[in-house]
Amino acid sequence: MSLLHSLRHRLRVLFRPGEFQRSLEEETRFHLELEAMQQEHAGAGAVTGAAARDAARRRFGNVTSYKEETRRMSGLGFFDLLRQDLRFALKSFLRTPGFTAVAVLTLAIGIGANTAIFSAVNALLLRPLPFPEPDRLMKVSLTSPADARQPAQTDRVWSYPKFVVFRDGQTVFEEIALWSEFQGTITIGGEAERAGVEYAGARYLPALGVRPAQGRNFLPEEDRHGSGPKVVILSDALWKRRFNADPAALGRTLTLFGQPYTIVGVLPPGFSGLSGRAELLIPIMSQPAEQINQAWSHSYYAIARLKPNVTPAQAIEGSQTLGIRVGAAYPHPEFGTSDWGVTARPLDATRVDPVVRRSLLVLLGAVGLVLLIACANVANLFLVRASGRRREIAVRLAVGAGRGRLVRQLLTESLLLSVAGGAASLLLAWWGVEILSAINPVNALRAQRLDSLGAVSFSSIRLDGTALGFAALITLATGLLFGLIPALKATRPSLTSELKEGTAPERSGKTLRGLSSRNVLAAGEIGLALVLLAGSGLMLKSLAKLLGINPGFQAEQVLTLRLNAPSGYGRDSLPAFYDVLLERLRAIPGVTAAAFSDCPPLNGGCNGTAIDLRDRPAAGPGSNPDIGVHWITPEWNRVLGVPLIRGRMFDASDRLGGQKVVLVSESAAEKFWPGQDPLGRPVGIGQGGFWEDTAQVVGVVGDVRFATVDAPPVPEAYISYYQSPRGGMLVFLRTSGDPLAVASPARQVIRELAPGIPVYDIRTLASRAGDAMSYARFSTILLALFGIVALALATLGTYGVISFGVAQRTREIGIRVALGARRGDVVRLIVGQGLRIAAAGAAVGLVAALAATRVMRSLLYDVAPSDPVTFAAIVALLGAAALLASWIPARRAARVDPVETLREG
Amino acid sequence: MGRAAPRKSELLKGTLDMLILKTLTVQPMHGYAIAQHIERLSKDVLAVEQGSLYPALERLQKKGWVTSRWGETPTGRRARYYTITASGRRNLGQEISSFERVLLAIHGVMRRA
Repeated sequence: MSLLHSLRHRLRVLFRPGEFQRSLEEETRFHLELEAMQQEHAGAGAVTGAAARDAARRRFGNVTSYKEETRRMSGLGFFDLLRQDLRFALKSFLRTPGFTAVAVLTLAIGIGANTAIFSAVNALLLRPLPFPEPDRLMKVSLTSPADARQPAQTDRVWSYPKFVVFRDGQTVFEEIALWSEFQGTITIGGEAERAGVEYAGARYLPALGVRPAQGRNFLPEEDRHGSGPKVVILSDALWKRRFNADPAALGRTLTLFGQPYTIVGVLPPGFSGLSGRAELLIPIMSQPAEQINQAWSHSYYAIARLKPNVTPAQAIEGSQTLGIRVGAAYPHPEFGTSDWGVTARPLDATRVDPVVRRSLLVLLGAVGLVLLIACANVANLFLVRASGRRREIAVRLAVGAGRGRLVRQLLTESLLLSVAGGAASLLLAWWGVEILSAINPVNALRAQRLDSLGAVSFSSIRLDGTALGFAALITLATGLLFGLIPALKATRPSLTSELKEGTAPERSGKTLRGLSSRNVLAAGEIGLALVLLAGSGLMLKSLAKLLGINPGFQAEQVLTLRLNAPSGYGRDSLPAFYDVLLERLRAIPGVTAAAFSDCPPLNGGCNGTAIDLRDRPAAGPGSNPDIGVHWITPEWNRVLGVPLIRGRMFDASDRLGGQKVVLVSESAAEKFWPGQDPLGRPVGIGQGGFWEDTAQVVGVVGDVRFATVDAPPVPEAYISYYQSPRGGMLVFLRTSGDPLAVASPARQVIRELAPGIPVYDIRTLASRAGDAMSYARFSTILLALFGIVALALATLGTYGVISFGVAQRTREIGIRVALGARRGDVVRLIVGQGLRIAAAGAAVGLVAALAATRVMRSLLYDVAPSDPVTFAAIVALLGAAALLASWIPARRAARVDPVETLREG
Repeated sequence: MGRAAPRKSELLKGTLDMLILKTLTVQPMHGYAIAQHIERLSKDVLAVEQGSLYPALERLQKKGWVTSRWGETPTGRRARYYTITASGRRNLGQEISSFERVLLAIHGVMRRA
């Protein structure tokens, strides 16, 4: 009961402080009036008016102090003190605008950078996947042993027949389903567009815990046999965009692959599949049965939800055990081996590529260092400022202000400063998040073949509640960190010396201690900056090496675009289509050459197969070497600037029905025919109908890096579109001027030739090549930026300490000069002090940097984490910065006029 | 933190609280009436500065032993009336008995010495 009364009272006071104060005033007035009346009454007319009021006041005691005591008793005293402290702090900051601006800006940079990078870490690594009970979701994959072309793999995609063996035998998952994604052309009401499509099993949505918002999921009978019903579930976005959110869209049809698909459902808003960009879902079983039933045609991912009582570890073990049966069910068609298996991993572990994870954590560590340096800098500023206020503080201590009270006052100042910095940092963080979220994951990550879950993308980076909470937390932590030590130091009670020697503080022991702790802070800043600079230096060197790699082609002045041949064309009619298309494209003004291929360079994911060298004894089953295979047209090498090293290019005579011919890359020629002439050699290539017929090598072209910039070239073979026609084309146009200028005429040509066929992915080849490295470039630039900020702060910190020291030693320097010291001696004295600080910091920093950069090994290309050149350069850079930071105050010191300073003393 | 040293001795402060609670058992009163009541009954022996009543009343309200609300005096003036709560009464009982024990003990010591 008393608790209730007590609580009600406290809350009323806390939330209605104004009312509390008014009540107190009125009550006191009422009391005094009654007492005055009483006095008049008792004095029987002798005591009146003012005299009575005075008497009342005497009986009451000190009115103001009782009011204050009552207020303090109510708990409002805390806020009164806070307000007092804040007003005091604000006033003192406004008196020193320069100090305040530098401190707030420093903190804003430190906190803002941390918040931005944390937002990325939160979105990409921490935030739970956007599905119910995401920790129950697993990705199940096929595994394959090591072979000649590649190491053992544990994350291979599935074929449907293998999946059936696994699905029907497994006991650990509640739900398991296949899915895959592709870009398709859909036509709705005669209007075509490219859209992200996911093939999905009927249990795909239940496994993810997602229900259609309208209509229904795929039915079991739509998931049973290939060549099944053609039905489609729309994304909420597509439904709104193309059907104006009309519920009557259910039951209508849209066209995909030139065939009608019936709309049966609409997905909930915001859901776009595991790919993160699905606009429609169609059943896997809507594909032709013969395509689905190929055991060795792998193209699907498997998503599974754990049974309630099964742990991920049990599921992995169960999957691997069952994997032996899956491997045995479908032996390798060529080799007869059955050594493939199955494994599983938590879906969450596959969300981003390990390289992205690692680089994000490195960046987070880097911004953490920047913040520490910023803290050290502001703490140093505070120490300098506190020594200027030493007399004020000593006086306050002497007149009886408690030390706790003063520490509280000083902490209020530092917290006020950090909150101001934190508020200003939001602007920086907002800007940083805008940039981070604009990194296109398709371009930046897919292009590098970084393995990640589309649903977790850079576009999901936001300044959300978690990030703002993080910002608030580090703001407070920062305020305490840089405020506490100066506050404790400044209030250390050694009153008498301060009061006595206030005019000559440089002699007191306290100053020496203050100076040395400032030196330690400055040295620490240099050490931290060295760690950061070493990291960014290594990344810059690695990026320079990456940029210096010749990818094997010339990307400038080439436009690329994609299209698919109209569905009416077949094997025999396609070559004529190619001829007309290339001829008309070449006729566009500004286009100097035109070609197409099936797969762009530096993109990865190109075809690979086996090569059979038929000029030597037959290889045993499974021992044929591997080779990459590409489809191209005759002008391809001219458009891309790939050198023809020997023999000839494809020409008009290489047609269907003629002698099959191939080109090989330099690496292939060296590997398969070392020291011999590859021209005229008979080979079989495992794709495009080049295994059945023996083809002849007619030319050798330069190596092109198809996978990533940093992957060394591998053997490649080239087949002509004219001898193995296919519908998908990636067109390359070499131009004499701006490549984008021919985009519109090229589109026009294709529209005339093939009405209704979408032309998409129109980009310059240079931008494709740039994308391949955009992530590496991006994280390097970011790290370098943090390094520069760290260097600037550390230099500023050193400068602050040295110039403060000079200001305090003016008299000493004056005496030295008077006694005959030359200006050079003075400069040497001051610069020496700066360099000693820098050397101490650098020594500690070097050790820390050598330890820290080891975690960057996987991020570096062709640079050792302890690269001596980089480290030497960084140490030299810091030395130069320290020299500069102490040179300026040293020159000031050298200009000290001995007469002036001695007279002042 | 930062709270000033108590103005009266601890004994006196506790005593004041007890006296206020005891006074309020008669009926709800405003602050001036409480002061009058205590002065009259103690024949001014226990007279304290009247102002010290108000911090004490705030303290008792925070403990939940006393509540207050604004009302009208018989002469029609606005005044803040204090009421003792059930837990205030319980506490008063305990205070009185422990106070009596102390008094008894002091009394015993004084007589023998």
